[in-house]
Amino acid sequence: MIGKKKVSVQILIVIILILGVIWAGFPILWMFLNSFKPNAEIFAWPPTWISENFSFDAYKAIFSNPEQVRFFVNSYVIAGLVVIVTLIVGIMASYAFSRFNFPGKGLINTIIVSVQAVPPITLLIPYISLIVTLRLYNTYGALILTYLVFTLPYCILMTTGYFNTLPKELDEAVMIDGGSRWKALWKILVPTAIPGLVSVGMYTFMQAWNEYLFALALTKTNDMRTVPVGINLLMGQHAYEWNQMMAMSVLGSLPILVLFLFFQKYFIAGMTAGSVKN
Amino acid sequence: MKKKTVMKKVLSIGLASAMVLSLAACGSEKKEDEKKQEGDSSGVTLEFQQWWGVELPDGALQKICDDFTKDTGIQIELLSNPYADTKTQIAAGAAAGTMADVVGLDGAWVYDFAKQGSISNLTELMKEDGYDDSQLSDQIKYEGNTYMIPVVNFAYPLYVNMDILEKAGVSEIPATWSEFLAALDKIKNNTDAAGFSIPLSTEAPNGIQNQFMTWLWASGGSMLKDGAPNLEGNKDLAKVVDFVKEMKDKGYIADGAEAMKEQDMVNEFENGRLAFMVDGISHLTLIKEESPDLNFDYAKMPVMDGYEGESGMDVANWGIGIAENCENKKEAMQFVEYLMSPEVNAELAQLANAFPGNANANPDYSQNDELFKKAFEIFQSGYATNEFTGLPTSEDLMRSFNEQLVLYLDGDTASVDEMLGAAQKAWEPAFE
Amino acid sequence: MNQTAGKGKKDILKRQATPYVYLLPTVVLMFILLVIPILMVIRYSFYDNVIINKNPVFVGLQNYKAVLSDPNFLVAIRNTLFFVIVSIIAHLIIGMVFALVLNTRYLGDKTKGIFRVIYALPWMFTASVIAILWRMMLNPNGVINYLITSMNLVNDNISFLASRDIALKAVTLINIWSGYPFYMISILAGLQGISTDLYEASALDGANAVQTYFRITVPQLKPILISLLMLDFVWTLQQFALIWMTTGGGPVNATETISTYIYKQGFTKYQYSMASTGAVILLIVCTIIGIFYVRQQRSGD
Repeated sequence: MIGKKKVSVQILIVIILILGVIWAGFPILWMFLNSFKPNAEIFAWPPTWISENFSFDAYKAIFSNPEQVRFFVNSYVIAGLVVIVTLIVGIMASYAFSRFNFPGKGLINTIIVSVQAVPPITLLIPYISLIVTLRLYNTYGALILTYLVFTLPYCILMTTGYFNTLPKELDEAVMIDGGSRWKALWKILVPTAIPGLVSVGMYTFMQAWNEYLFALALTKTNDMRTVPVGINLLMGQHAYEWNQMMAMSVLGSLPILVLFLFFQKYFIAGMTAGSVKN
Repeated sequence: MKKKTVMKKVLSIGLASAMVLSLAACGSEKKEDEKKQEGDSSGVTLEFQQWWGVELPDGALQKICDDFTKDTGIQIELLSNPYADTKTQIAAGAAAGTMADVVGLDGAWVYDFAKQGSISNLTELMKEDGYDDSQLSDQIKYEGNTYMIPVVNFAYPLYVNMDILEKAGVSEIPATWSEFLAALDKIKNNTDAAGFSIPLSTEAPNGIQNQFMTWLWASGGSMLKDGAPNLEGNKDLAKVVDFVKEMKDKGYIADGAEAMKEQDMVNEFENGRLAFMVDGISHLTLIKEESPDLNFDYAKMPVMDGYEGESGMDVANWGIGIAENCENKKEAMQFVEYLMSPEVNAELAQLANAFPGNANANPDYSQNDELFKKAFEIFQSGYATNEFTGLPTSEDLMRSFNEQLVLYLDGDTASVDEMLGAAQKAWEPAFE
Repeated sequence: MNQTAGKGKKDILKRQATPYVYLLPTVVLMFILLVIPILMVIRYSFYDNVIINKNPVFVGLQNYKAVLSDPNFLVAIRNTLFFVIVSIIAHLIIGMVFALVLNTRYLGDKTKGIFRVIYALPWMFTASVIAILWRMMLNPNGVINYLITSMNLVNDNISFLASRDIALKAVTLINIWSGYPFYMISILAGLQGISTDLYEASALDGANAVQTYFRITVPQLKPILISLLMLDFVWTLQQFALIWMTTGGGPVNATETISTYIYKQGFTKYQYSMASTGAVILLIVCTIIGIFYVRQQRSGD
């Protein structure tokens, strides 16, 4: 009886696994296959799987164009800096939310949740004006600051939840020994929270890496632009470089994939973070 | 003590990040300062934002600009944007003061940008410069003044897949609507291909101008009267709507029209699944390159049965304008004049597979494809037109017409009169 | 004595000031870069035709009246509700199922690792790429139609994005695909955090798997699920790129959502005031959600 049940559960799991792979992986597989086809063939009927004209031309075109390589460099620099600054600023704020009760806490929290609601497209005009006033237009700074404020709310919400799961005695012990709060935060709380912070950092990285609207609007020269803008630049008025778009997307997802593999252990354990208490 | 250390740390982190940011900022600010210090034309840098570079052979536009710098000492910095976002970027940039000095424009945007005060009055600039504007084949005006000059024009003839026609047993390219419908019927019965295609995506609603209204213009019709919309009760237009409805009802139109963009239609054509399409000649090189075996030809748009007048041929253009917030308008105008000069204009036209915007330009098309020459002949047999150019909120007009058309094609609107009435109502507020 | 009293006061002051010091960078950044632009948008919503018009006139709530009585906006609300609710529920279900499967003891760690990466793949692409990819696949002559016709599931090719009946569902499907990994990974993490004691106790009580799931797993995950749903609601509500780049809000207005409505008002009709009004309406909705969220958090403490 029990054995039978186990087998049927196993079969169910295998079925779900297979369906899941098709659902999640097929579109990506299709993108990958298309990056090796000539443009016209991408729309052939019946569709071709492995092209007879299989070629790495699209990839070669990207690597031989210094402008497109530059997009990747920019994306790394910007996303990397955003992660660092978001984490530092976010951790400090989360510490305040997690360890103190103070007037205005609820208000600030509500604002942090609700400001995410304004569609970025409506902020576009006032935002560009602001960046121009700050003399940051067409700089890394503009993009870093922008992504910072867009990723901070998420970072704070999740990190606060994570700090809440850590007992107060942990940092109080440091202070009793004469250490400062600052020390308690960075020497004790943060190292204990590393898994959660890795997951927040990963997500922040992805947000910064994939953002398009402001990446385009706040820059004007191609040497300041990022991968998503580069992909969209391949869509001309008359000609779309389909295979190059696909190739660039594949390449663009690689760093995130590598990071994900590298941090997987933390990532999974860490997301617990956000909310599970005690 | 504790607080002090906290403050110190906060400050140092703040300072460090500020330094990172300002370092990043330095790189580009320097350039702007350099620009401002220098007074007269040589040494001036103009930003030229366009989407043309990617459509031309690699480096061609850069070379044209470099030649200008050699002659005048004025630097041109080429900035490119994805075409689909160009309009949004100009609109936002104009409001925020980050618009480039010289901008590539589409005729459909001119009214809005001119009204918004983001592009300059070129009539004044030409006058100041003593420029003879009679050599320009066209100028796009707002309230009587020019705001955009078309640099090159792209005609929209009929593309015909000859192999499909042969397979369907159509021996002659149709010249009238009834011949066209007869050909579509044969194609439907004898081949797997679709007959015709109208891209009706609401994201990029220019199918209304290029693949729909083009039928009206080819038969001498007009959607305007004294500059105001004339849709309701427009008999010619009603005939076009019903002509398209007939194609749709009989299943001649390619599937998925309502989500299709021009580019998707071209993909269908390239893969031999579409017999006829109306499309810019700008696609010629692309199609030849991507589908070298495709046997296709150009033809005149079929006209309404019995119509014998001249045919209007739909054109799109690469236009050029100058930002209102440009600090070196004189130099900017000089650059525009350079692009419009007969030699440079002819070169651009030749490279882009387009027709020149300077009436005196004489492009040497001998290097271009045979088919291109045929298209040129067709173009010269009629007159160029595009009634959407220079209209207020053009794109929105196309979009609202698109919505009414789809409703009618789907059978949600009872009659063509009702449909055109609804479209008229949607258009009128823009013209008030 | 005086001294100690002074010191005590100072300590209290310090203690009171500390949280603000820690919050300072966040508050400064958010205030300058987010709150100021948002205040500008709110201001626009009370004026007549800003930006185009150099001297806009204060019109009070007129823009709100105009937007809320615009039949297109009402359609947009209806479509947005469908899009958001279906997306969130599907995200939750798919994310939960994948997480539970990846958490079973029937699979080895390596296998789990591989499937985790595969299932997280949709997360790694920018919205415009997802839109392009799915437009290609859902094309009447695209690969999905090829597969379903060759498997004889349907006779004729389906125009997923071009049909007024299907388009909204198709767009929602794309959004579901692109968003579930966020749930999957977060829930998976949440599951690791549930103490095994609880499960053992439940087993001793003779509870079956389903009972255990609803008695132990769900209540334990509740805090994380609420955070997820709240964030997802706010993000999905303003999803723009995916919808705009697949259907542009059409056919007719079949996939018009509040965000595409706002875009059209702002950048094709040049009615920035109306666009701002739409944005403020979204802001109000999300502020209410935010207040509930904060309350819920507080009661949880």
